[in-house]
This record gives sequence, structure tokens and C-alpha cells, in this order.
Amino acid sequence: MTHKITASHIGRVIWSEFKPALLASFWICLLAFPIMTLSINPTNQSFKFSLDRMPYLALGTFVLSILWRFFLKRRAFIGITKAVHQSEGLPEDLRKGPKPSWLTVVKASRYRRQGIYVLLAIMAILPFISSPYTVNVMVTALIYVTLGLGLNVVVGVSGLLNLGYIAFYAIGAYTYGLLNHYFGLSFWVCLPLGGLTATLMGLLLGFPVIRLSGDYLAIVTLSFGEITRLVLNNLTVTRGPRGISYIQPAGFFGIDLNGAPKEFLVNYLRVDPAMDINKIFTYFIILCLVIVTIIFVFRLENSRLGRAWLAMREDEVACQAMGINRTRAKLTAFALGSTWAGLAGVVFASQITFINPASFSFLGSILVLSIVVLGGMGSIPGVILGAIVLSALPEQLRFFSQYRMLLFGALMVLMMVFRPGGLIQSTREVYIHKTNGNGKGDGNGTARLEALTGAPKPEATGERP
Amino acid sequence: MTKTMLELKGVRTAYGNIEALKGVDLHINEGEIIALLGANGAGKTTTLASITGLVPPKSGTITFEGEDIRGARTENLVKKGLIMVPEGRHIFPGLTVLENLKMGAYVLKDQSGIKKDLEYIFNLFPILATRSKQSGGTLSGGEQQMLAISRSLMGKPRMLLLDEPSLGLAPIVIRDIFDTIRKINTENGTTILLVEQNANLALMLAHRAYIMTTGLITLSGTASEFLNDENVRKAYLGG
Ligand SMILES: Nc1ncnc2c1ncn2[C@@H]1O[C@H](COP(=O)(O)OP(=O)(O)OP(=O)(O)O)[C@@H](O)[C@H]1O
Ligand SMILES: [Mg+2]
Repeated sequence: MTHKITASHIGRVIWSEFKPALLASFWICLLAFPIMTLSINPTNQSFKFSLDRMPYLALGTFVLSILWRFFLKRRAFIGITKAVHQSEGLPEDLRKGPKPSWLTVVKASRYRRQGIYVLLAIMAILPFISSPYTVNVMVTALIYVTLGLGLNVVVGVSGLLNLGYIAFYAIGAYTYGLLNHYFGLSFWVCLPLGGLTATLMGLLLGFPVIRLSGDYLAIVTLSFGEITRLVLNNLTVTRGPRGISYIQPAGFFGIDLNGAPKEFLVNYLRVDPAMDINKIFTYFIILCLVIVTIIFVFRLENSRLGRAWLAMREDEVACQAMGINRTRAKLTAFALGSTWAGLAGVVFASQITFINPASFSFLGSILVLSIVVLGGMGSIPGVILGAIVLSALPEQLRFFSQYRMLLFGALMVLMMVFRPGGLIQSTREVYIHKTNGNGKGDGNGTARLEALTGAPKPEATGERP
Repeated sequence: MTKTMLELKGVRTAYGNIEALKGVDLHINEGEIIALLGANGAGKTTTLASITGLVPPKSGTITFEGEDIRGARTENLVKKGLIMVPEGRHIFPGLTVLENLKMGAYVLKDQSGIKKDLEYIFNLFPILATRSKQSGGTLSGGEQQMLAISRSLMGKPRMLLLDEPSLGLAPIVIRDIFDTIRKINTENGTTILLVEQNANLALMLAHRAYIMTTGLITLSGTASEFLNDENVRKAYLGG
């Protein structure tokens, strides 16, 4: 069957594609009309009206809208072709099944262990060859990794939307800040104390919200975050908005790291002379904390408690029917998730040596939540990548100065549309890759079970029952 | 020799001001299959929720194997072997079939028997074996019901409470599931309380039955009595 493609036909297709884009462009121009055309001159208290910028806005929106629709269509199209490839009635070579992602390749690799060692070695060398600025950025990134992994326990694994997570970070930071300021307690004493305080506060918040879930939980946690910030802002002990300054950095057996050790490092290892060696030490502390967190969270997820959390996230009724104590599951998720925020807070306070309530705004909670969502809910490598991307990206985008946050928001929206599962999706087999038997079964469950439990790697044969 | 497994006496349960159960009396002997029948809103689900402690009753007594369990926590009852398959299946949609099943054994101390239990289940419902790596949410309704029942079996129940296992399923699938319920009862001696709308089918399976109307048990008897009683047939079984 061949149709003659006429000019009017093409015209109609183009029109159907362009109409929504034109509408979008028109709509945006209308919305932005006042802010794009009027500019206020504060010196002589007048304002100027000019249409100069409107064409750019209109054209820009139009092009973006076309691109947007194109990529959405492409995505839908890819989805269809994938489904077709997996369906029956195609030649064998077309039914290969989904290609393994690079992540599965890395995972299955025989060199995985070596890879981790190499990565650790690079991480260990990095601060000695970087600039002070880079080390600072890296410490911040690692703090966010810890925060992300902690919140992932609450949101990603247990499915409890916590919008006040930054409060626990603040509690950790203030625990160290206050104890150091008033009693001169050291970092190493305060690190466990900060974690503990945050855990207790997590429990405290947990009790009233046991019966809540979804939207209600989100609102209560959000309020908790804001209340914490306001309390810190108004108490005299916390010195209100002035915050606490001159917090000691973490000590290293009482040795002044910027003395002899620095001389050695600068002379023999060519470390940047402007470097504050305390920062390098902080880097290693947070690196260790991240490693411990990863190990801990990983083991937790595969433990009995982790399964209870998963069940709670999936279905609360069924979770109870399985004999899981929902109350305990919820409280432990809140408490343990907060622990990491507390620990990260202590490190944060020692890193920047000055804290005030403004460092712990609602935006912070949102950033950490974005890390978890962008990285991939419930996926540990995803959250790590998300934290690195989200803490480093704003630095990279500094070039765009005032449009930085706008761009950041746009990137997030794009991410969520085109990769809703996050950068690295939680690895759960959704589609069956390997099937034995013909679906009706031959009563030979044993043999099949052997195949299922004995062969951990499902092979993508693409065959259908 | 019959031993009473579960007994309810004058159980009253309310949701706020609405009294859903107005003094329910029933008992189930060990090894029996009991059907609990009744129209929509009669209070069948509420009865199960009262037994399992999901909605604690206001008054009355509930005993399980001679022990007072009124107001006990759900998880403790599951440990005692009193397990419910909730209405509407409630499988874990994001977990695979295998993970769903393993979740069913959550309360078991001895996890070494799990492999054998899985074998048993895959024999009972071979389709679940072929679907074991698929996420629960992608199963068909019938498969989900099979999974829900199987998952409860993983907890080694002494008594199963099934809430409308036939809900929204094709007749042939219902027959399959009911056959399996009978099998579970005869092979393992598991006592079963079956809540159903589908009275005809439930009575084919059950030994005895109770009929509930607006929060009260209004009729009880053996299944054959019910099936042969002209009045009961007219009133509850559609002629
Ligand atoms: N959570 C609740 N809050 C308030 N009222 C409820 C609640 N759950 C049930 N009810 C009321 O209690 C009564 C009994 O409901 P129940 O769910 O036990 O009925 P059922 O016999 O299981 O009905 P169905 O066959 O439709 O499932 C109904 O009138 C219902 O409206
Ligand atoms: Mg019901």
C-alpha cells in the first residue's frame, strides 16, 4: 500500500505538531508579559516599557516546546518498539530481550572487587592533588551522600515522605556546635552524641506520626523541620540568627595539622601550600563515614528489619497481615534515618566551623529529597550518584549565575520525565527473563525451584511461556 | 473428638458511632472449613478484623485455642498461626513473586524450612513458579489471589482467614482456587474460615456455615442443611 504524500498532507502534520508549541509559546509570553516588558529604574523611581525581549522569549519557548514534544514522542516510540521486540511472532534474532545495562555489566564483572579498590585508592589520593576549593566541594558532596543514604532509608526503602529531614542534620550540627562552644567537647566525643541526639529526636517525631502516612506525614515532617529552624533561631542558648562560630575542626591526636605535617606534605607531596590540612582530614573522616554508611545501609536493607520496611512501603495492610509490627518498623525507619543526618551534621559543623539556622532551611530538605529521587529511590549507587551530581552541579552551573537555580529546576524536570526511576534505578526484576515450563506446569515444582534458586543470574533469553 | 479452635461470644465492634458488629457468636472446630456468608456491609470483613486485632472489639470474648486473644496485636496472632488473607488480596506490588512469598515467612524463627515450603507452594500453584521473578503488581487478578493465599501459607498457619478469595475472578479460576483451599484443609489439617459472597460455591466447600445480616449471625447450620433448605435457598442462594 502506498499513499501519495501530498503537500497538504505534510502541511497538516506540521500544523498538528506546531499548534501545541505555538500555544505554549503564546501562553508563556502572556504569563511573563509584565516581568519581561517592564523594568523599574530605582534611582528616579520610574519604569520603562519595552517589548525588546518578547521575541526571544516567544522563539525560545517555541523551540523548547517542539524539542520537548519530539523527545516525548521518541520515548513513547522506543517503548513500543521494545514491546514489539519482546513479543511473539518475531524471528529469533529480534527477540533478544532487553540489553543488559552498563550497571549489570559492572555488577557481574569479575573485576568488581578490584574496581572498588581502585576507586578507593583514587579517593584517597584525590585531596592531595586538588585545590582547597575542590576539597571543600568534595567534602560537601560526601556529606550529601551520607544525607542521601540516610533519607533513602526513610523515603526510598520505607516509603515515608519526610520533608523535614534537614532538621536532624541541624540537630547533629548544633549538638557539636553547642557542646564545643560551651563545654569545649571535642569532635570525637560529639560525633556519637550528635548521632544519638538525632536518633532520639527521630523517635520523638516518630511517635506522633505513627498513624499518619502520605500527605499528612509530609505536612507534619515539614512543620517539624521549620519548627526546629525557628527554635534554633529564637533561643538564646543557640545565639539565635548569629549562630555559633569558631567551632573546632576535628582534632588528630592533638597534633596541629597545619604545622609540621603540612610542611611535610607541601615539601614532599607537592600539596597546594594554600591548603588547610584540617580540611583534608575532614575529607577522610567523611569518606570513612560514607563507607561505613554504605556498608551499614546495605546490610540493613537485606536484613529482617529492611524487609519489614519494604513491606510497609508496599502495602500497610499486608504488612500487618504478615505479622510485621508496623509501629516498630515506622519508628526504627525514622530513628535510624535520622542517625545519619545527625552524624553528617557534626561533620558539617567541623567542616565550616560556623553554623546558623539559615544553613538548615526547607530548601535543604528538598535538596536531599531530590538526591534520593533523582538518584533512584531505594538504590544505593543511585543515591550516591545523585548526591554527587546535585552537590557538584550547582557549582558547575555558577557560570550561569542568576539563572543557576532555574536551570537546575529545568534539569530536574527533564530528568523526571525521561528517567522517572532515577539515574540508577533500584534493581528489581520487573519482567520475567527466564522461564521454564509452559505456564500450566507439570507438577514438577522441585526442578523449577532448583532452577530458580540455584541460578541467581537470570539470563535474558527473551523466551515467553 | 472435636476441639474448638476459635470462638467468638457476643463480639461488638464499632467504627466511631457506627456499630458494625452487634454481638457476634460463632465457633470453629479444629480442621473445619466454615463459610461466613452475608450481603454487602453485613460485617463479615469487620468480623475478621476483630479476630485479628486490626479493629479491636468493644466487648465480647474471642478465644483462639483456649486463649483469650481479644485486643491482641496482629503480629502476635500471626506468630500463633492465625493468619488472614485480606480482602482485595493486598499483595506487595513492587516485590517479585518470590519476595512476596518470602515475606509471608517473616514471623518464622526457623528460616531453613523456607525452601521446602516454596517447593510445596510451587506444586500447589505451578503458575507462580514460572512467574517467580515477576513483580507482584504485574500478575493477573487470579494469580494475585493465588499469591496472596500462598504467601499466607508461608507463615505456617494453624488457621486461615480468607476474605472473599473469589472477588472479581472468572468461574474457572475460582474453582481452581477453591480446590486448592480444600487441598490445604485436607492435606495440612489447616482450619479455614472462609468469608464469601459466592454462597453456592462456598457451601460446596464448607462443612458448616453462618449467615450474617447487619452485624448479627442470623442463621447457622451444616452446609448440606443449607443447600437442601428451600427457604435458605430462596433467601440467600438465588433460588
Ligand atoms: N473503616 C470503617 N469506618 C467506618 N465504617 C466502616 C469501616 N469499615 C466498615 N464500615 C462499616 O461497617 C459495616 C460492615 O462492613 P464490612 O466491611 O464488615 O462488611 P462486609 O460484610 O465485609 O461487606 P462486603 O461483602 O461488601 O465486603 C458497613 O456498614 C461499613 O460501612
Ligand atoms: Mg468485606
